[in-house]
Formats: sequence, structure tokens, C-alpha cells
Amino acid sequence: MEHLLETIGRNMFAIFGVLALGAATVMVASRSAIHSVLAFLFAMLCVAGCFLALEAEFLGMAQILVYAGGIVVLFLFVVMLVEMSKKKEKEVFQLQSRYAVAAVLIGAAAFLGVFRKVIFGTASPEALVLRPELAQGLNVARQNAQAVSRSLFADYLLPFEILSVILLVALVGAVVLAKTERV
Amino acid sequence: MPIPTLSQSLVITLIQCLLVVIFVFVVVPLTVFAERKVLGYLQQRLGSTRVASGHIGITGWMNRGMWKMGRVPVLSYWRGIPGLVADVLKLILKEDILPAKADKFVFFIAPALSMVAAVVVFAAVSFVPGTFFTLPSWFPYVGGLPVSGGIADINVGLLWILGIASVGVYGIVLAGWASNSKYPLLGGLRSAAQMVSYEVPLALSLLAPVVLSASLNFGEMSARMATGLPAWALAPQILGFLLYLTCGFAETNRLPFDMPEAENELVAGFHTEYSGMKFGFFYLAEYINMTVVAALASGFFLGGPWLLPFGLQGLVNPYLPAFLSWFGEPHAIFFVVKIIFILFTYIWVRGTIPRYRYDQVMSVAWKYLIPMTLFNLLLAAAVRCFAV
Repeated sequence: MEHLLETIGRNMFAIFGVLALGAATVMVASRSAIHSVLAFLFAMLCVAGCFLALEAEFLGMAQILVYAGGIVVLFLFVVMLVEMSKKKEKEVFQLQSRYAVAAVLIGAAAFLGVFRKVIFGTASPEALVLRPELAQGLNVARQNAQAVSRSLFADYLLPFEILSVILLVALVGAVVLAKTERV
Repeated sequence: MPIPTLSQSLVITLIQCLLVVIFVFVVVPLTVFAERKVLGYLQQRLGSTRVASGHIGITGWMNRGMWKMGRVPVLSYWRGIPGLVADVLKLILKEDILPAKADKFVFFIAPALSMVAAVVVFAAVSFVPGTFFTLPSWFPYVGGLPVSGGIADINVGLLWILGIASVGVYGIVLAGWASNSKYPLLGGLRSAAQMVSYEVPLALSLLAPVVLSASLNFGEMSARMATGLPAWALAPQILGFLLYLTCGFAETNRLPFDMPEAENELVAGFHTEYSGMKFGFFYLAEYINMTVVAALASGFFLGGPWLLPFGLQGLVNPYLPAFLSWFGEPHAIFFVVKIIFILFTYIWVRGTIPRYRYDQVMSVAWKYLIPMTLFNLLLAAAVRCFAV
């Protein structure tokens, strides 16, 4: 019993990862858009579980809060409002398989090209750190949340702010696109 | 103190889960019962404050005596109990109808989603700091081990609570969509918009305690908010409490913000097509969500397991005479009493304030609550910066 529990505990990442992949497969294969969104929600929760298994509890919770709680709700909102006829649904979900397969193959090739060394190469003896003087600060921070906030608001403030400006640009762009018809 | 093995701690966690479920299933029916009675008194509805078991048993005998004397007893706690029993029986026995063109799977899973999301939040709530009680040594397998006051007092507890609470939206939205009917869909869409917008001020109002206590752990936050703050922190605490409670009312879809099920506009909103125990699960989820909001409000603002609210405990404790020291310590009973008080406030508000219009609800969230919560956050940050 004890042994079994320990084995499960050690393989949490694998369990959640397989669940996430399964949910992603259901999402792609499902005929109904709402079912796809539900499977996507499950996959997001499983990814949060993966983060938790890696002891990145802050990221895991942020994953639930932002993706499962915010973004997927908006997906659902849009999918609920867009009612498709059977023919349109067939066009969108079944007649694009060739392009979809091609896109997946290209994506997989690109992924392998970038992460070839990570997956098949030997592990580096010590962790790769971009700026070693910052890593010490991270060791001082006791918790995930502190470590993340330290990185975001002290060490990498400028890139972080630039990222938020990019998001703002997207937001303003969306408002402009939605407003043009009325002007 | 013996250190529990992995399987023993699993068993202890199961015991804790059982205790929380028992707590929830004791509080929820009592809230339903209290709601009928308090509303009955507030709005002069006669039934639920008077109905009792006719001629049977001691209540029937006392009722007959009272009616003969020509008055209705004020302290009639038992009156209305038959209504509660009938409610539960109706939920269990009623036929479970599936609309002809409903999406079966989604229709089935929507109430379960809302229910699970409501209950699971309690995992991160700590009812009392440290050990709640030690299991007696005759207890099989886990005898003599301590049971802590929260199931999992994790260091990102607040984020867990907010995240899971936001997953609860799916239950309502999917129920509205899966019913394949006009009014439920409108109710579901309304609720999606309302809950997503009210999540923003809700999270912002909870950031003030985070800033003040410098933690995300429920137990640590309630301990520091209750005992570790200067007198200056009273202002952001009281303002934050009022703002949080307002958002909490909207987040649980209670009057005056019950847009998803506004009866006179939408029949019954998102659960129009639901009946029997599936409807019962939505009903339960609503009351469990109320309990969750009450638990958070009492944990973060009303001092949690300490007696005095708004951090007054920390100010009073040094002057507390020795024979009153029991009142200076944390006890689970204080926490439960505060939860019950806030649940009563829910009913009180429901009986007093009429429903807002839909556009008013949204403008309250975006135009008033968000700026006010931001101001409160600023206040908390100032207290944190200058006074702590």
C-alpha cells in the first residue's frame, strides 16, 4: 500500500500528462464544439496538475485561474453564441482534415527540431542559468509566488512591461475593429 | 508526536474531507430552513413561519394549545420543519426530465460541475490554526495522530479558491446551453457575463488582505489579519469587507444580483429545464457557494477563528486579563458562528433589497466596484508601506 502510494506520487506528472494528452485528443476528435471546449477545459486542469507535480504551485494555480477560469469561459461564450448549421459544421470540422494533418506534421517537425537536444541528448550536470547572480535571489525566496514576483517585478521588469503593452495593443486593436462599423 | 506515514496521512485527509462534507450538509439544510423562516418574518409570509406537524407529537400538541389561546408563539423554532422535509422529499422523488433535444452528456455533467467546484474550494479553507483535535488512541490505524484544522493549508490557498470558484461558472453556462431552450440560454449567458465581470472586483478586494498579510496561505492570512495588524489597518479591512461581500452576493447569484434566474423575466433562468435531483444539485451548489463566500469573508475580514473582527483581536489581546484568555485564542466555534452570521446576512439582504436591472448590475461592477476596490488596494498598500 505504502509502496503503491509512493509510486503514484512519484509519477503524478506522467499521470496528469497522459490525461492532458487524452483530453486534447478528445478535443480534436469531438464533433460538437461545446464538447471540444469541455475537453479543452479538462486538458487545462490536467496541465495545472502537471505544474503542481513539478512543485510549481503558483504557476499551476495561475493556469487554473487564467485558462480554466477566464479564457475557456470566453471560448464557451463565443461557441454558444455562434450557432452553426450542419453543413457549415461539416465544412469546418470534417473537410479540413488534410490541412490539419499537414499543420500537425509541420508543427511536430518544428518542435522536434527545437527540442531535439532536450529530448534525446544527455542531461546537463548542472542547471542552465542565464544570469547566475539572479539565481541566488531566487534561492532566497521561500515560495513560488515570491520567486515569480521577484523575477517579474525586479529582475525582468522591462520585458514584462513590454509584454503587457503588447497585450494592451491587442485589446485596443480589438476595440477598434469592433467599433469601425458604427463610425 | 508520531509522524504519520503516507497512507495514514491519506486516511486522516479522508477523515477531514468527511468532516467538511458533514459540516456542509448540516449548514446547507439549516440555511434553507432559516431562509424560509426569516423571509417569512421579514415579508409577512405566513406559511413557512407557522406550518408544523398538525396533531402529531409534542409540536402538534403545543400548537393546538397556542391556537386555542389565540396567538402564534414567537419562539417557535420547530415551525416550518415540515416544509423543509417536504422540500427534500420533493427533490428526491420528482421525475428527472430530459428535454428531447438536449445535449445529454453536457446536461448531465453541468450540475455535477457546479456542485464539485463548490465543495472542492473547502480544501484550502483552514478552520482553526494548527491542530484541530488529536484522534483518540483506540482509533483504528490512525489512533493518536493529530488532525489539522484545514484539509490542505497550501501556500497558494487563495489562488486555489479563486481558481476553482471561477470553474464553477461552467456549471451554470453549460446548463443554460445544454437545455436547448430559450430562457435557460439567456440565463446562462447573463450569468457568464455577470460572474466573469464580478470575478474582477472580487479578486481585487481579496488582494487587500494579501497585501496586508503578505501571504497567500489561508491560515496565515487569517492569523495575520486577525492579530498582526496595527490600528491603521481597520479602514482597508472594513471597506474591503463591504466590497467583498457585495461581490460575493453577485458571484453566488443571490438577490439583489440574481440575474441568471430572475423569475419574472426568465421563468427560472438556467435551471428552467432541470427537475428532480439534478435541480437539487444546483440548489445545493448555490448554498454551498454562499457558505464558501461566508467562510472567506469571515476568514479574511472578520478575524476567522479569533473572536473579534477586523484585526481588533490583535489590538485587544495585550490588555486581555488572564481569566478571559480563552477569548483571546482561536477556536473553530467562532469561525462557524461568523459563517452563520454572514449566511443570515444573505437572507436579510434578500428579504430587504429588490433586484437590480441587468445593465445596473453590470455598471455597478465595472463603474463603481472596480474603482473602489482599487482605491481600497491603494489604502491597504499605504498601510502596509507606512504602518506595518
